[in-house]
Amino acid sequence: MGRFLTRKNLTRNEMLVVYIIAALSLMIGAVNSAFFSMGTVIDTARSMLVTVIFALCEMAIIISGGIDVSFPAIACFSLYSTIAFMNAYHIDSVAFAFFFSGFLGLLWGALNAILIAKFRIPALIATLGTSSLASGAILVISGGKEISMIPPSVDALSQQFLFSVTNASGVKSSLTVFILLPAALCLLFHFVLRHTMFGRGIYAIGGDADAARIAGFNVFRTQCILYMAAGLIIGIAAITHAILMRNANPSNLMGSEMMVIAAVVIGGTRITGGHGSVVGTVLGVLLITLVSNNLIMLNVPNYWQTFAVGLIIVIGTSITSLRAKRIALSPKI
Amino acid sequence: MLALFGIALGIIVIMAFADPAFLKGSNFRSMAFQCPEFGILSFGMMLCMISGGIDLSLVGAANLSGIVAAVVILSTGGSPGSIAAGTAAALLVGAVCGLFNGYLIGQLQIPAMLVTLCGGQLFTGLGMAITKGPAITGLPEQILVLSNGTVGGVLPYAMLLFILIALALGFLLKSTVYGQHLCLMGSNPTASRYSGINNLHVTLLTYMISGILAAVSGILILSHYGSAKSDYGMSYTLLSLLIVVLGGVAPAGGRGRVSCVALSAVILQLISSAFNVLRFNSFVKTFVWGLLLVVVMVAQSVIQKEAYRFLNIRRKNYEKNHQQA
Repeated sequence: MGRFLTRKNLTRNEMLVVYIIAALSLMIGAVNSAFFSMGTVIDTARSMLVTVIFALCEMAIIISGGIDVSFPAIACFSLYSTIAFMNAYHIDSVAFAFFFSGFLGLLWGALNAILIAKFRIPALIATLGTSSLASGAILVISGGKEISMIPPSVDALSQQFLFSVTNASGVKSSLTVFILLPAALCLLFHFVLRHTMFGRGIYAIGGDADAARIAGFNVFRTQCILYMAAGLIIGIAAITHAILMRNANPSNLMGSEMMVIAAVVIGGTRITGGHGSVVGTVLGVLLITLVSNNLIMLNVPNYWQTFAVGLIIVIGTSITSLRAKRIALSPKI
Repeated sequence: MLALFGIALGIIVIMAFADPAFLKGSNFRSMAFQCPEFGILSFGMMLCMISGGIDLSLVGAANLSGIVAAVVILSTGGSPGSIAAGTAAALLVGAVCGLFNGYLIGQLQIPAMLVTLCGGQLFTGLGMAITKGPAITGLPEQILVLSNGTVGGVLPYAMLLFILIALALGFLLKSTVYGQHLCLMGSNPTASRYSGINNLHVTLLTYMISGILAAVSGILILSHYGSAKSDYGMSYTLLSLLIVVLGGVAPAGGRGRVSCVALSAVILQLISSAFNVLRFNSFVKTFVWGLLLVVVMVAQSVIQKEAYRFLNIRRKNYEKNHQQA
């Protein structure tokens, strides 16, 4: 414990986020004492589920020096196409749903990979283009309408729970079995980023792509695998979202890229690349989720909420960027 | 530049075959009314891209300016004087939004993409807080004149404004000291700093002008619809990025011509009207914008690589032929 409580550790970026989350929880708990209960933990975990998966993929991409704003569109495309396909051909297999959705995500990820790794198009513009392609395509295919009929065995998964908690007023909160997915992905990302050469390559490319190339990393191959793997995981996250929401909506994930990128940056990942951690990202997502879900408890009226969330994001990202700048300018002996 | 002219003519010719209703005078007139709204936004985006950054908050700033103008006009009576006051207030709001962006990017050195993404959210949220949700209506009739009136029955005021702004920006970029400093800073910020250029001033001025242009566009939108809402023109961000990229501005910064961007704005207006005439779904438009963006970027990348290869071959041949043995 003594080795943990050093000044350097206590002022790390991730610890700052922990302090802010603690302060925010105290504020919310002061207004609404029902906040400090297991039910809240379960509900927050449920809201965070899909966002954490998106944030992990986005974190890996931002660490490598790129950015990806196309993941909501890819997710909408994958989940709607999978459900529509399964309904049309009367396929009712859980494995097929995950494989097909992951495969579609992989294809879109491959498009991103080709544009960014092969044609060297700036990542923001390339993924903006992919986003329009995917969202335009799925809106044309779906006509803007959602599907509410999910194949039965797939739908049954949404009713599998790990455990339930009933609070004082009789409201039951159940923790869905899908919580295992982001948990497993967190461990996987942590292992790959910290303990494999592929992960080292991601950090190296983010730091300086030319230096990484000269040092011997295969930049093209690393970026390709990264964007395609991100696409695959996004496809899986998409079908999870559809199962949990129990419908296939072609456009309700759009617009979430802002929140996810903000969560990743607040969690300590520098937007310029080369730095980032899984713990920080999860904490960032927790902070953003707590803020968006509980502003109403702090008596912030509905129409102020967009501004309030934006303000918190600006302050959070300014703090991290200022720290990064100070570290970059300080003497490194 | 010639290529863009060719594309514009090509589109007109194709549409003439596909559906002659495209060539009607009223179609061209309605295009001239619509084009300046996102055309002026693209000029703002162009300036920011030349400086090496990007501005994704233009639509948010435009909507906020429109909302502030509407509030000022409604609360000071609705006379022509108050319309002038509202316009001035909108331009001021645009400048402040731009200065906010510029300060965060220039002084705190936060990457432009992040700042403008968050800034756009902030401006939209502020607009939503002011309107509390629904659109602000009840504006005086004179406000509709700007976007819907014409000079001599032929040239819409909005188009005249577009042309004037294009000329002013062209002069600014080519002949003023600021314009030169902007291009230099966009090419290489470190070199420009060592050359004595105040990067912070150039950045602040660039984003302030871009904010003012967004405010002008906001006023045009207000005048067009006769009401102010916090989420008009949400698709204009991608559209202005597409126009700027098609107009030959390098995303890395340092190069850009106003005439090309203006022409590419016209081209995209032609395409947009063509879709309306052919009665395509508006979702198809989103898909096609994305496709165009990808195709144009890939084409530029391939052409650039081929140009380098071609120049290298010429250089090698020259050296081979002029070998002093």
